[in-house]
Amino acid sequence: MLQYYFKLSLKNISRQKGLSVLISTTLGLGIAACMITYSLIHLMSKDPLPNKSERVFHIQFDNWQLGLAAIAPDLPPDEVTWRDAMNIVHAKQAKYQAANAITWGMVTPADKNIPPFLGIIRATHGEFFPMFKVPFLYGQGWQNFPANNVEYVTVLSKSTNKRIFGGLNSVGQTLPMLGKLFTVVGVLDDWHPSPKFFDMSFGAFYQPEDIYLPLQIKSELELPHGGNLNCWETNIADDYQAILNSECVNLNLWVELPSAQNKQQYENFLKAYVEQQKALGRFPKAINNQLLDINQWLAHKEVVSADMYVFFYLALLFLLVCLFNAASLMSTKFTAKNSEVALRRALGANQQSIFAQCLTETSILGGLGALIGLVLCIFGLQGITYLYPNFSAFVSLDMTLMLITVCISLVSSILAGLIPIIKVCRLAPASYLK
Amino acid sequence: MITKVKKYISQLPFARIAYRPMFSTLLRQKYAMTVLILQIALTLAVISNGLFIASQRLDILQRTSGIDENNTFVLTSSGFTENFDPKTSMQTDLAEFRQMPTIIDAVATYSFPFSGSSEWDDLRTLLGNEQNSVPASSYKLDEHGINALGLSLIAGENFSPSEVLWQTESNKTIPNVVIITTSVAEGLFHTQDWSSLVGKTIFINEAHSAIIKGIVLQLQAPWDPVGQIENSIIYPRVVTRNSARYLIRTKPAMLQSTIAEVERHLGMSNQQRMIRKVQTIQTLRKEVYGPDIAAITILLVVITTLSIIAAMGIGGITSFNVLQRHKQIGIRRALGANKIDILSQFFAENIMQTSAGIFIGCIFAVGLNMFLVAQYALPKLPFIYIIFAALCLYVLGILATLKPALRAMNVSPAEATRSQ
Repeated sequence: MLQYYFKLSLKNISRQKGLSVLISTTLGLGIAACMITYSLIHLMSKDPLPNKSERVFHIQFDNWQLGLAAIAPDLPPDEVTWRDAMNIVHAKQAKYQAANAITWGMVTPADKNIPPFLGIIRATHGEFFPMFKVPFLYGQGWQNFPANNVEYVTVLSKSTNKRIFGGLNSVGQTLPMLGKLFTVVGVLDDWHPSPKFFDMSFGAFYQPEDIYLPLQIKSELELPHGGNLNCWETNIADDYQAILNSECVNLNLWVELPSAQNKQQYENFLKAYVEQQKALGRFPKAINNQLLDINQWLAHKEVVSADMYVFFYLALLFLLVCLFNAASLMSTKFTAKNSEVALRRALGANQQSIFAQCLTETSILGGLGALIGLVLCIFGLQGITYLYPNFSAFVSLDMTLMLITVCISLVSSILAGLIPIIKVCRLAPASYLK
Repeated sequence: MITKVKKYISQLPFARIAYRPMFSTLLRQKYAMTVLILQIALTLAVISNGLFIASQRLDILQRTSGIDENNTFVLTSSGFTENFDPKTSMQTDLAEFRQMPTIIDAVATYSFPFSGSSEWDDLRTLLGNEQNSVPASSYKLDEHGINALGLSLIAGENFSPSEVLWQTESNKTIPNVVIITTSVAEGLFHTQDWSSLVGKTIFINEAHSAIIKGIVLQLQAPWDPVGQIENSIIYPRVVTRNSARYLIRTKPAMLQSTIAEVERHLGMSNQQRMIRKVQTIQTLRKEVYGPDIAAITILLVVITTLSIIAAMGIGGITSFNVLQRHKQIGIRRALGANKIDILSQFFAENIMQTSAGIFIGCIFAVGLNMFLVAQYALPKLPFIYIIFAALCLYVLGILATLKPALRAMNVSPAEATRSQ
């Protein structure tokens, strides 16, 4: 029976080609608009560290001046000072702890055929790598070094390793840069977390760095302070160490706890730490520590911009207009079929079978709409990566989104067709048979 | 006279429409009419809000930065050898740029509009006066800065070469003369008599004092974290570092050829450095305003597509009505209605539907805006956007009705005699 309905539907559709294409296109347009905006929000707010994000926390202290807010209305700064970062990391109260910051310097490969270049560097404690599950191609990271004992080791990104060592396993090789000789201990695999949650000072979708170094080297070689450097004191001395000892914030401080239950305990530790610092004359404001897990941190930084939500709501209304439009076109379509339906009724088809046949027909139109919607989605997302070049690292149409598209299309075609179908089923055949 | 006018009016096509039967025809197609009216209403809500958001973004895009955006580019020279001398290299490079015939002027600076980073200083007219603090982004330029950026100095004068401090990165001495923008001047002194402000003293970061040497009309901040993009202060300072960023202003239409020439020249002149990040101000501007350009594009695509869909909906229903009412139209024609009567009947119907849609649409538009205001801190929708969107919908409706109405007009009176 279903096969017969299907055949009949195809016949009807091909007879009313223009109208059918119009209905499917309308549905497809509405669905594409919705899916493009939805997938952007979905992809931008994707958990960058699945299974672990609720245990990895970003730490903030309010070390600002009395009466001033680091971030309006009265929030602590996003970053922490050098002193606090070192104190917290060396206290080792969490499973993993690492502070990191962006910096840069000249890389001068020993091989004279490779031109020197300005390397963008992430200076970090070694526990950065296991905490953020950074994938390694060769070798591994380093342990957190004690305060005054740091080794000149480095981890290269995959592309930097390709640039300097031709992509071969370079673990154990030496690399001259920043005027010193470094030993390569690891090479990363492709790694582009989006959003780049651990440091969003250059934007949430900025590319990862070329080179990773132990954080203490930043101070030993007096490397520049990249990212945000915020200060409130006005009379900081001119030398490099003075900045490190000041209340200037520049480092992103992250810890991983054994489980989310340990949060309270760790908060108490942070509170005790700030109180101890208050006794030393720091932290003039009331204690205002923030311990946000990755997803809370992303929400706090508003990674998905308000624009995206506005587009999504407008697209929803757009889909609604398309639905109404399709509904009125369907109504036209089925009214034109009145006499045919009357004939079938007169020949013995009951209301249910008319209903089933009409439903098959709308579902086919919905399927066509889904197809058009998917094609438009692909083009639309292409357009989005053209408009927002930073998004190209993560924008793609995944399987779930495709399934959702098809489902929405079928549901909306049935919604749009339902009332016209019911009307056509209920009409009295006699008047149309004259 | 009055009767004459009345008679004339009653002869006009729209006056001769039988409104009551038309109204009841529309009421008989309850489903089709509801769907159509809702469609128009939602379209109005989306178009008015979308246009409003897009026009706000357009305002941001149309702001000028105060510099000669079309004829300026920047590049970085990074020295990497141990005996590289940043100060000599900088002075040689700048001297060479400045005597090239296609270059108007050049300056070494990391701050310029769209560069995306700068320090912000806190300015006031009295020490310790909390109320009168004005934030300003700081520019460090030598005496060529104003000419290289293409700023217009409207009061006072430019720095003299002897006032410019050449500093290393750690030297934070603040010079005792500054140039400020009109926006800073107004914020500090609440006056527009610019020349009266030259020679006045201001305090910087509660620690240093400086005398206002000149006032420039406009210079936007390199980035704006505080919502005061027009606030800038220029210090006569040059910071020497291994990586120097040069901003070069060329003569009109000489930009591309000059970039090539400068790159060739720098590549040969000093082998101890490399040249990178050669960018025109136009490309940087596009990057900075990228999200706004994207928002405008997306909104315009949505508005256009939606208008087309709405027009198709209106056109579709009208042609269906014409098809269904072939016989009635024939009867009316046979009973004496002329072609214009039929035409105006369909237009009147369309205007009635659109009006109903617009009426409901106004409520939707205001509701949608209230939601966006509450959730995403958007400004309130001015009523003019609703009026504009409504006018668009009327025009769209009439255009969409045109074709089917013309077909209806040409239905022959003989149709009346045919059955079904």
